[in-house]
Order: sequence, then C-alpha cells, then structure tokens
Amino acid sequence: MLEIQNLTKRYGKFLALNDLNLHIDKGEIFGFVGPNGAGKTTTMRIVCGLLKASSGTVLIDGVNALLRPDDIKRKVGYVPDFFGVYDNLKVMEYMEFYGSMYGMEREEVCEISEGLLELVNLSDKREAFVDTLSRGMKQRLCVARALIHNPDLLVLDEPNSGLDPRARFEMKEVLKNLGTMGKTIIISSHILPELSEMCTSIGIMEHGQLIISGKVEEIMQKSAGTQPIRIKATVSGQGEEDGREYIATVLKEQPSVSKVSYTEDEILVSFTGSEQEAAKLLKTLVERDIAVSNFYREKEDLESLFLEITGGNQE
Amino acid sequence: MKKKLRINPILKKELMVGSRSMKMSFAILGIDAFLTLIVILVMASANMMTGFSGYDYSSLVWLFPILGCTECGLLSLIVPIITSGSISGERERQTLDIMLTTPVSPFSIALGKLGSAMVVVMMYMISSIPILAIAFVLGGLNWGALLGLIGILLYLGIYVGSVGVFCSSFVKKSIVATILTIAIGVGILVITGVVFYAWIGISNYYSMKNGGSFSPGAAPLVMMFNPYSPLFDFILRTMSGTSLYEIIETAGNQSVVLGWIYKGWIPISVVLNLLIALGFLNLAARNICVTRNRKK
Repeated sequence: MLEIQNLTKRYGKFLALNDLNLHIDKGEIFGFVGPNGAGKTTTMRIVCGLLKASSGTVLIDGVNALLRPDDIKRKVGYVPDFFGVYDNLKVMEYMEFYGSMYGMEREEVCEISEGLLELVNLSDKREAFVDTLSRGMKQRLCVARALIHNPDLLVLDEPNSGLDPRARFEMKEVLKNLGTMGKTIIISSHILPELSEMCTSIGIMEHGQLIISGKVEEIMQKSAGTQPIRIKATVSGQGEEDGREYIATVLKEQPSVSKVSYTEDEILVSFTGSEQEAAKLLKTLVERDIAVSNFYREKEDLESLFLEITGGNQE
Repeated sequence: MKKKLRINPILKKELMVGSRSMKMSFAILGIDAFLTLIVILVMASANMMTGFSGYDYSSLVWLFPILGCTECGLLSLIVPIITSGSISGERERQTLDIMLTTPVSPFSIALGKLGSAMVVVMMYMISSIPILAIAFVLGGLNWGALLGLIGILLYLGIYVGSVGVFCSSFVKKSIVATILTIAIGVGILVITGVVFYAWIGISNYYSMKNGGSFSPGAAPLVMMFNPYSPLFDFILRTMSGTSLYEIIETAGNQSVVLGWIYKGWIPISVVLNLLIALGFLNLAARNICVTRNRKK
C-alpha cells in the first residue's frame, strides 16, 4: 500500500528526514512514534503531497506520490493536528463543501455523509454549527471529512492531542472500526498505550530516521528484557550536577547497563540484566553512598520501549 | 453525456458563510449612507450657488464624476479588506492544508476567493444604483453611461481583488496584506500618472517653444497600465466630450498606429489590466503551492 524509499527532506542545513525507508501493507494501522522534531509530521505531509521531498520515493498503491501528487489526492485522506473551523457552517454543509472539492454531487455527498457521521457518532449533530461542537466532536468530524471520498489511505497527525479521556476513547473506537473496514491508517500520537492497543504495527523515529519498525508483537519480543530502570537518587555532600555525574559513572561500570539518560527528576537506565542483576545494581548504588529514594523497573510495554530507544525524551 | 456546470466549491462555501453574516449588510448600509450623504451635499451646494434664481437641475450632472470617483475609492478600500484574509485566513486556520490535499487546484482556490469578493462588489454596486441614478435622471445623462460606469467599476473590482488575493497568498497577516494591496494600487496610480503627465507637460512645453515639433511618442502608453485610467477616460468622455486620446493628440502625437491605440483606450486598457489581474492570480496560485516547501 505505502512504500517509502530513501526519503530525505532538508530545510536549509537542517536534515528533517534522513534516508527514511518504510513499508506499510494494506489494511494496517501503523503508529508513528517519536520525540518532537523526529520527522513524523514531515513524513506525513510528504505522503499527503503537502511538502516536497528533497529526494527519495513515496509509492502509494504503486503510484509515485512525489512525481504525480495529483493522482494520489483521491487515494489519501488527511487529518491535521489542528482542526480549522469555518464560522457559520453546519456539519452537513462542512461535509458537502469537502465532497464538492472532490467533484462529488450533492446527493452522493449527503448519502455518504450520513453513513460517515454515524460512524463517528455525530448523526445527531448534522444540523449543528461546526464551531459549536466540542474539540473531540470536531476531531471526529475531521476524520469523517477525510473519508468523504473513500480514500484507501488515511493519515492522521496526532488526532488525540488535546482531547479529554472520553473523547480519546471515542476516537480510538472510530479508528478501530476503520481498521476493521480494511482502511490503511497512519497515525502519530503522544499517547503510546493507546497506540499499542490500536495499531497493528509501529515505527519509532528519531532525528529523521526510523530506528525500529514492524508488527507490535514482534517489536515487543525484540525488546523483551531491555526494560529501563527509573532511579531517583542523590549523593550527600555533592551538588546536583556533580552528584549526577558520580551516579552515571557508577552505573556505567555495571555490565548490564547500556545507556544512562535523564528526565526532569529521574535517571533512566537502559538495563538488559535479570531481576537478580537489578537487585545487585541497587545494592551497589547504596554501597557507593548513593541515597536511592526510588528504584523502579519499567514494565514491558510500548512506552518503556519508546523511552528506552529515545533516552526518555518523550514528546 | 452532458457535463453538469459546477460552481467553484470555494466560491459556493464563501457565499454560504458570507450570507449568514451581518457584516456584509452593515457594510452595504454604510456605503449607501455615505453615497447618499454626498448626493445631499452636492444638491445643497448646487442650491446655494443658484440662490433664489431657481434650481439648476443640470448642475446635478456633476454627481456623476463625484459619485463615480467616490465609488471607485470605496471599492479600492473595501476589496483589499475582503480579499486580504482570503488565503492568509485559510492558512491561519490550517484549512489551506486540507484544501491542498483535495483535487482542487491552487488556481481554483485563488479564483474562488476572488469570485466571492466580486459577488460582494456586485451586491454593493446593485445597492448603489438608485443613488447613482439620481445623477442620470436629474442630471440628464443616459442609462448607457450608468451601465458603463458599473462595468468599469466591476473590472476595477476584479483588478484590485486579484492584487488582494495575491498579497494574501504570501503575507501572513491580513492587515499587512490590506495595506500592501492599497500600496500597490496607489503606487501604480502615482507612477503611471506622473510619467503620463510629465511627458504631456514636456511635450506641451517643447511644442510651445519650438512650434509643435515634439511628440510624446509611446510614453503615454504607460498610462494604459493604470487600472484607473479607463474610469478617468470614461468620465472625461461623458462629461466633456474629450478623452485621453485627444489630450495626447493635442500634445503632439505623430504616430498613426499609436493614435489608433489611444482611440481605443478603454477596451485596450481594460483587457491589458485584466491580463495583469490574471497574472496576479497565477502568482497567488504559485504562492499557495510554495507553502508546500515551508517548514510547518
């Protein structure tokens, strides 16, 4: 369905995408994960024809999206991370407007819109003005709008950002339904547990490169035994900087520690050892006069994998 | 199979949204009130000048150039305000991105925006016809002059609107686009006007000094690029029977070909400036595409 080969995008000297390669099969729900500036939005905008790539190839159903952007417009539906509202436009008129942009007749748009509004649970809002809808409703309407021309590929850029838990749940249900309908979906999100529940495959990006991608289960298997350890610790008689440096030195001496990074108030340790080895690590820290107030090993999930790979720099 | 005529979807949407807003109604009310005030002032001043010797209705013919120029001035202010937010507003709402993922071309987007501004201009023109008609009915002008004036104002609306859409396509803030549109209009008006009258002046000076041996050549053609020159020529023809052609001939045009061109000043200048307006729309469409290369 979607094949990205050696995709590169430069903004002057800044390399936003660096030789990106990606393959997504038809019917997959692909989750894009990565810290800010990783290149997720850039990739999505190139796929949708909103941005020109510096080099590389994007094939959608065999059509080169970079050479023939007009040909892929009917194949792709795009939901941006921000929902733009037109004042004085009703829900049904909003759908009609976008339907007419695809050259669809009014009757056809109305018929399709009824079904789509039902799919996104907005049937009772068809006569409501768009600017009176809640943020969650607007976002679901945006998904319905992106489906008006029945695209094969749906690209959603952080559709859950800024939504309350209920709205997020409703959006998740909508996307799950679309998955069962055989639509290919690319979705980027901050909320990693939701992605792991919803997506059939994921890709983790950092610095414009895809670090890891594949089926969710396969990736989780690959990462088994690499759950990071979160530590809160201080060294008495030393300042914060010196203390951190000392702790990092001690940690790096341990054979099972591969990487040490910091979040705002925690030390994140990439750890490949067993439970006994983790206990031994704690013992070592205490023996080296480090006051440990918290020592916790992450569970094996997408979030911990993401933190492990990106060094805690979560978006 | 017969292909169904489609209305530009952006124009259709803009009309739907615009018709629900009271802004347009209030703007038309304000414009008509302003024009009415001018008519009252002109009629009052005519009355004061004639004193007790009876009212000279023929003096009301001067309402024509006054109202024509006032409408032209209002149009040159209103159209930039309407069009300045046309593309920049879509960009601010991030709806432009969604539009660009549809098969609608950037040129159609620019054309739809211009079209919606032109509908507003037409409504404003139609609503002001009864006020303009006073000059024609009481001042003794024919209806052809009224229709001609409306036609020229519509053409001016297209020109200024195209510049407005163009400015809106590359400037982020609507207010900057408004100012830029007005500045471009004033700039063209002043530059072409200065060039035209400087050459006419120089020509007249040398003609008087050397006994009519100096010709302005093709320099007056610059004035054809002035979008307001057809209105000026039209008012001259209607009010005094003279024209820009005669002004140039008097200054000493010696070229037969240029003479033919100057004779057809209004249609030639209108076509020329409409082509320029088309160029502005094309540039606007290109600017809309250029957004694709900007980092979000």
